[in-house]
Amino acid sequence: MTGRPAEELLAHLRELDRANAPVRQGRAVARARAAIVDEELRDLYGVAGVPDGVALVALGGYGRGMLLPGSDIDLLILHDRVKDIDRVAERLFYPLWDSGLKLGHNVRTVKECIAEAEARIDVASAMLDARAVAGDEAMCEAMVTSIRSVVRRSPKDFALRLREDAADRHERFGSVASDLEPDLKEGAGGLRDLNALGWLAIALDGEDLEALTDSQLLGAREADAIDEAEEFLIRLRSTLHLVTGGRLDRLVLDHQPAIAEMLGFEDDTDMSAADALMRATFERGREARWVVDVVFERLLEPSADTGTAIAATPEAVMAAFADAAESGRALPLASLEAVDAIDLPEGVVWSDEVRDAFLRMLRSGRAAAAIEEMDRAGVLVRYLPDWAPVRYRPQRDPFHRYTVDVHLLRALGGMEGLLAMPGDDPMAREAVGLVGDRDAVLLGALLHDIGKDGTGNHVVIGESTARRALERMGIEEQTRELVRFLVGEHLLLSDTATRRDLTDENLILSVAARIGDPERLAALYLVSIADAAATGPHASTPWRQTLLRELVAKIQHVFERGDVGADTADTLAERTEALAEVLVGEDADEVARFLADLPHSYVVTVPPEEAAIHFSLLRAELDGLEVRTAESVTGVEQDTVRLSVVCTDRPGLLAKIAGALSLSGFSILSAQVFTTESGVAVDVFDVASTFEGDEVGEERWRDFRGTLRKALDGRLSLDYRVKEKRQYYPAHRTAIPVEVTIENDASDFYTVIEIGCADRVGLLFDLTRTLGELEVDVHLAKIATYGGRVVDAFYVRDVVGRKIEDDEHVDEIRRAIAARLAE
Amino acid sequence: MRLVVAIIKPFKLDEVKEALRSIGVNGLTVTDAQGFGRQRGHTEVYRGAEYQVDFVPKVKVEVMVHEDQVQGVTDAILKAARTGKIGDGKIFVLPAEQVIRIRTGEMGPDAI
Repeated sequence: MTGRPAEELLAHLRELDRANAPVRQGRAVARARAAIVDEELRDLYGVAGVPDGVALVALGGYGRGMLLPGSDIDLLILHDRVKDIDRVAERLFYPLWDSGLKLGHNVRTVKECIAEAEARIDVASAMLDARAVAGDEAMCEAMVTSIRSVVRRSPKDFALRLREDAADRHERFGSVASDLEPDLKEGAGGLRDLNALGWLAIALDGEDLEALTDSQLLGAREADAIDEAEEFLIRLRSTLHLVTGGRLDRLVLDHQPAIAEMLGFEDDTDMSAADALMRATFERGREARWVVDVVFERLLEPSADTGTAIAATPEAVMAAFADAAESGRALPLASLEAVDAIDLPEGVVWSDEVRDAFLRMLRSGRAAAAIEEMDRAGVLVRYLPDWAPVRYRPQRDPFHRYTVDVHLLRALGGMEGLLAMPGDDPMAREAVGLVGDRDAVLLGALLHDIGKDGTGNHVVIGESTARRALERMGIEEQTRELVRFLVGEHLLLSDTATRRDLTDENLILSVAARIGDPERLAALYLVSIADAAATGPHASTPWRQTLLRELVAKIQHVFERGDVGADTADTLAERTEALAEVLVGEDADEVARFLADLPHSYVVTVPPEEAAIHFSLLRAELDGLEVRTAESVTGVEQDTVRLSVVCTDRPGLLAKIAGALSLSGFSILSAQVFTTESGVAVDVFDVASTFEGDEVGEERWRDFRGTLRKALDGRLSLDYRVKEKRQYYPAHRTAIPVEVTIENDASDFYTVIEIGCADRVGLLFDLTRTLGELEVDVHLAKIATYGGRVVDAFYVRDVVGRKIEDDEHVDEIRRAIAARLAE
Repeated sequence: MRLVVAIIKPFKLDEVKEALRSIGVNGLTVTDAQGFGRQRGHTEVYRGAEYQVDFVPKVKVEVMVHEDQVQGVTDAILKAARTGKIGDGKIFVLPAEQVIRIRTGEMGPDAI
C-alpha cells in the first residue's frame, strides 16, 4: 500500500481552494470538497483489499456531505464482526494519517454503534448524519435506521437532551451572537446549533428542515433566516480555516481584519471593516440562536396561549410587551409572531399611552428581557431609533466582552437585580435605599453607553443622545436630568477610583462637587456596578470594587460632614467662579496662578472677598522671613476681627503666631491654616480682644506684627514671655479636668484631636507648640469656650500628610498635651 | 539578567510606564494586585454599612532587564511612584536565569 491516493487527495483539495476565493467558500464549495474526498476514499478502499461485511462510513459534517478546509474527516469503519478488522483499518487509515490529513476515526460493529448512540447524544447525532462512502451500503443503511429509531422513540426526550447538551456547550464556548471572539462552531447561534435543527427534523420522522416547517415548528421567514446564517457562518469558518491553515473555530481578534478584507467588508466612517464583519456575524448568530430557541420551545413547551390579537398601533404593541412583562413572562410566541407581522412606522411617535406602557414595562422587573424581545420582534428600533447604531456593535477593549447593545441590556438586567435584591454588597443595599427615582437608574443603565455609535467620544455623544431620546419618549424632566447626569458621568467613579490618588482631598472634593448630593452619588454607584458587572470579568474584580467603594465612602463622608467646608463641596465651582469674579480686572495670568496654587479646602471655606485680600497680600513675591498681615472687622461675631497672616511656611509658625497674638492681648476663637502648592502659609484667625469692650487700634496690630517678626527672627522668646504674662492672670477656681480624645473616624483625611481644658493665657500657643514638636501638622483649629472651659478641635496630619494611626504616636501626643497643660 | 518587580499605587501606573518608556524600557507586564505591608487594611463606612478592607489594591509591574539597566529602572520607578506617603509600595530585584522569546526561540539577553 502506498501513500499515493492520499497525496493525490491533498493536491485536489489545494486546487479547489485555489479556484475558490474565500468569499465563495460557502456550502457549495464545502460539498465539492466532500465529493473530492469521497472519490479518493473510494479509490483507496478499492485497492485496500477490504473483505465483505465492511463499510467505510462518513460521519458528522462529512456525513452531511460538507467539508470545510480545516474540518476533520470523520470516518467510521463499520463491520459485521470481521476478523482482523484492525488490519483493515490500518490499511485504510495509515495512508491518510501519513499524508497529514486530519482524521476522526473509529471502528465499530452495528451493535456497538447503537449502544454508543444510546449512551451519548453527541455520538447519536453524529451517526444520524452517517452515510456509506464505500463498502457495504446496506449495512450502513441498517445502522442509520437503527439509530434513527433510537431518537424517534421519543422525539421530545431527544429534543430535551439536545437542548441540555447545547446549554452546556454554550456555557463553555460562549456565543456567536455577541462574543468578540466567537466560536463559530460550538458557540450559541453557531453551526452546531443549526445542525441540531436538522437532527430534530430527523427525530420527527423527517429528512431535513422541511419536516420542521411542515409541522409548524419553523416559520418560512425563520427558515430563510437560518439558511442565510448557515451560508454566512460556513463561509466565515472556511475562511478562518484557510487563514490559520488549521481547524481553529474561534474567530480571534488577530485574524479579524484580514478575514474582513477577504470577505469584502470595507472601512466606513463609523465602523472599521473588522467591526462590520463582527456585526454581520453577531446578527447571523443572534438570528440563528433565536430561531433555534423558538423551535425547541414550540416543540417542548407548546403554549396554549395563542396570544391575544394585537392592534397594529404603537400603543397596542408596547402595551402587549408591558402586559407580558408585568405578568412576569415573555410575550407568547403567537403574539410575537403577530407583532412580527405588524409594520410599525420608522420613528414611532411616543404618545402618552406609549410612554405609560413603556414605564410599566420598565418597572416590571423584567424590562431587560422584554426589551430584548422587542428587538427580536424587530420593533425596538422603531420606538428607539438611537438603538440602531449600537445594535450588534462590537467593542474592542480588554474589558468589554459583549456588543454594545447586549452590554446595555445586561446592565439594565443587572440594575433590575440590584433594585430587587441588592445581594451581599452592603454599599449597594444602602444605595438602593437612597435612590428615590428608580426609573432614572434603570434608564441610566439602559442608556449609559448609547453614545457608542462609532463617531466620537461616547460619553459626550451619549449625554445628548440620551437627552434627545428621553425627550421624545416624554419622560418627566426631573428623571431626564438625573439620567442625563448618569449617562454623562458613568465613568467618573470607576475612572477616578482606579486612576487617581484617593488620599488627595482636593480630588475627593472636586468629585463630590461634580456629583452634587448623596442620592446622585448612590444612583451613580449603582450604575457603575451594574455597568461593571455587565462588561466582563475583568471590569468587576475585587480589586476594582475595593477602590470604587473607598472612593464612594469618601465622597459620602464629604456630603455628610461639615469638616473642611464639606457641606459646601457642591459649591466649589460656584466659589471658584465667584472668586474669579471678585478678581475681575486683575491680571488674568496672575489670577489663574493664584487659583491653581490654592487647595480646594481653601476655596470652599474662605469667602471670595477675603480671598481677594489674600490675593493682594500675595501679589508681590514674599521675601525670606517677610510676614504680611491684613485685618478686617468682619469677624464671625460682634467685636471679633478676622486676621490673615501670610508668610513662607515654616515649622512652628502657627504656634508663633498664636503666641504673638496672646502677648498682644488677643484671644483666638478659631484658626485655619492653608498651605499653597508653592509652600506659602495663609493662616486665617478669628480673634477678639482679651478684654471686653477694649478697642483694637492700629497700634495694637503694629505691636502684634512687631512681636511676630521678632519671634520668627529668633530675637524674642515667646515661651518665657507668655509664661510671665500668665502669672498675672489667676487660674480658674474650680478645677477643670483635661480631656484629650484622638479620633480617626471623623475625617477621611485628618486625625481630629479634641482637647477639653481650662482656658488660660496662651493656651493655643502651648497646644500648637506641643503638636509642632511631635511633627503634627495642624490644618484647622476650632476653639469653643464654655465659661472657663475650652474645647479645641484640631484637624491634623503627620509630617508626610497622613492620618495619625500609630498607637504609640497617639499615646505620646496625649501625654505631651497633658504634661504641657499641667505646667 | 534581572527581573524587577515593583508594587505601586494604582494611580501611579501611567507615570511609571512613562518613566520606564523614557529610559528605553519597551516591555513590561502589569497585574492588578492586592496585599498588605505596613499599610494595613482599613474599614470603609458608607451610610453605616461597613467594609473591612484586608488587602489594599496595588498594581504589580514586572520588567526584565540587563544587570546594567537595573539601577536606571529602579531609579525611574522610585521617582515616578513616590508620593512620600505610606503605601507607596516596594521594588524587588530578582536574578533571572533565562528568558526565551516564544515566537522566535531567542534566548538570554537577545530575548529581553
